[in-house]
Amino acid sequence: MDLLVKLGNIDRRVIYILLILATLVPLVRPIGLPFSVSEATKKFYAAVEQVPAGETILMAIDYSVGGGPDIHPQGQAVFRHAMARGLKVVFVAFVTEGTEFANQIIAEGEKMAGKTYGVDFVNLGYVPGSEVAISAFAQDVLKVYPKDVRGNVTADLPIMQGIATVADFVLVTEFATGIPGPSEWIKQVGTRYNVPLAIGVVTVMGPQTTPYYQAGQLVGLLSGLKSAAEYEVAMKAPGLATAAMDAQSIDHIVIVLFIILGNIAYFAGKGKKGR
Amino acid sequence: MTSDIGIWVAAICTLAMFSFLWKENSIFRSFQHIYVGIAAGYGMVRQWQAINNMAITPLLTKGVTTWIVPIILGVLLFARFFKSIAYLSRWSVAFLIGIGGALSIKILETEFIRQAQATFVPMNSFNNIVLVLGTVAGLCYFYFTIKPSTALLGVAKLGRYVLMISFGAGFGNAVMGRVSLLISRMQFLFGQWIYLIKM
Repeated sequence: MDLLVKLGNIDRRVIYILLILATLVPLVRPIGLPFSVSEATKKFYAAVEQVPAGETILMAIDYSVGGGPDIHPQGQAVFRHAMARGLKVVFVAFVTEGTEFANQIIAEGEKMAGKTYGVDFVNLGYVPGSEVAISAFAQDVLKVYPKDVRGNVTADLPIMQGIATVADFVLVTEFATGIPGPSEWIKQVGTRYNVPLAIGVVTVMGPQTTPYYQAGQLVGLLSGLKSAAEYEVAMKAPGLATAAMDAQSIDHIVIVLFIILGNIAYFAGKGKKGR
Repeated sequence: MTSDIGIWVAAICTLAMFSFLWKENSIFRSFQHIYVGIAAGYGMVRQWQAINNMAITPLLTKGVTTWIVPIILGVLLFARFFKSIAYLSRWSVAFLIGIGGALSIKILETEFIRQAQATFVPMNSFNNIVLVLGTVAGLCYFYFTIKPSTALLGVAKLGRYVLMISFGAGFGNAVMGRVSLLISRMQFLFGQWIYLIKM
């Protein structure tokens, strides 16, 4: 009984060390634990898969540095999928750091054979104003973005020919860590323009975004690193997100064990006080 | 181990932030201040670039006069730093609130009508039954207009359990998200900095 009470007061640093080990070991020596692809991810994948080759999709990179590691693999996976399908991708950002993340994704695209900046993908950069800016962008893309991040005149770029409003994109995707996020995009784009909207969010935002997906306001939904791994599996191209799933599963087991242990210790301590 | 200076800097920053796990220390605080400073500076540069590209350059080079009013309203926001003309900033704020309010009116459709519609489902499956009962019970928990009857109290109690389950799901996702961040940093440290993980 005393041992249980002592375990309840375990130093938090011991927990940190165990968690770090539980993360590191499966990353170094992968186990390959199975995981299923959720329906929301399958629908997101299908939405990209259904876009005819040569058409243009929008990727709004609205995530910050803090949540980037949880959501950036989603953006990378969707971009790879789009490139593999021969789609064109226009990047925009309504969060300052979004521009840098879009640049990182594009850097990968520039290494792909036969893919050219300005023809197959472009980064239009960041515009301040959050929801107001999204509304203005949706109405007139070229007015809000007269130039891209590299200083090119947007209207002159081959990829931008035929793009005037957000309705000219065959699919709109957005990846968010907060505001602007799903609510703002659904309000300003989803309800006003006849364009399918698919959204990726950080894991924390998953439960609060699911009602939009269930109500049919989104054609697909990705939630955190797990969804990125699911997307990689759907593409049959496992990447870093897939490799992280073993560590995620083991970490969750460790956390659940500590929660159970904490409760046992709590009730053991309570019983001792009662006597 | 990499020779890329950028990765070394990022790795040292990561370790400095992780040092907080051991205990609060001056290295952690220093790097925290550096991070805040860089983030603020980066944000300012990006904001200025965007305003310059979108408004100032078209106004000065192409004579797009429609940007004059927004630029003046933007500049007026800084009037609050000068006591004698601080009231001028209220005009810009009033304009922002007006625009924000007008744009947000769609919230009625996205967050209320469409969400309510989504609960009008036939109770022919377990998922639909849980959805309908959970929504009704949750709403009953927040029903304060009349003195609750025993039946209403019972449904409201069910609503409380529904809310607790949803909070649990939210907390579970929060933990999962934080674990993802840890994994990503470990992949960086032991994959890109020290080549221990195959990338």
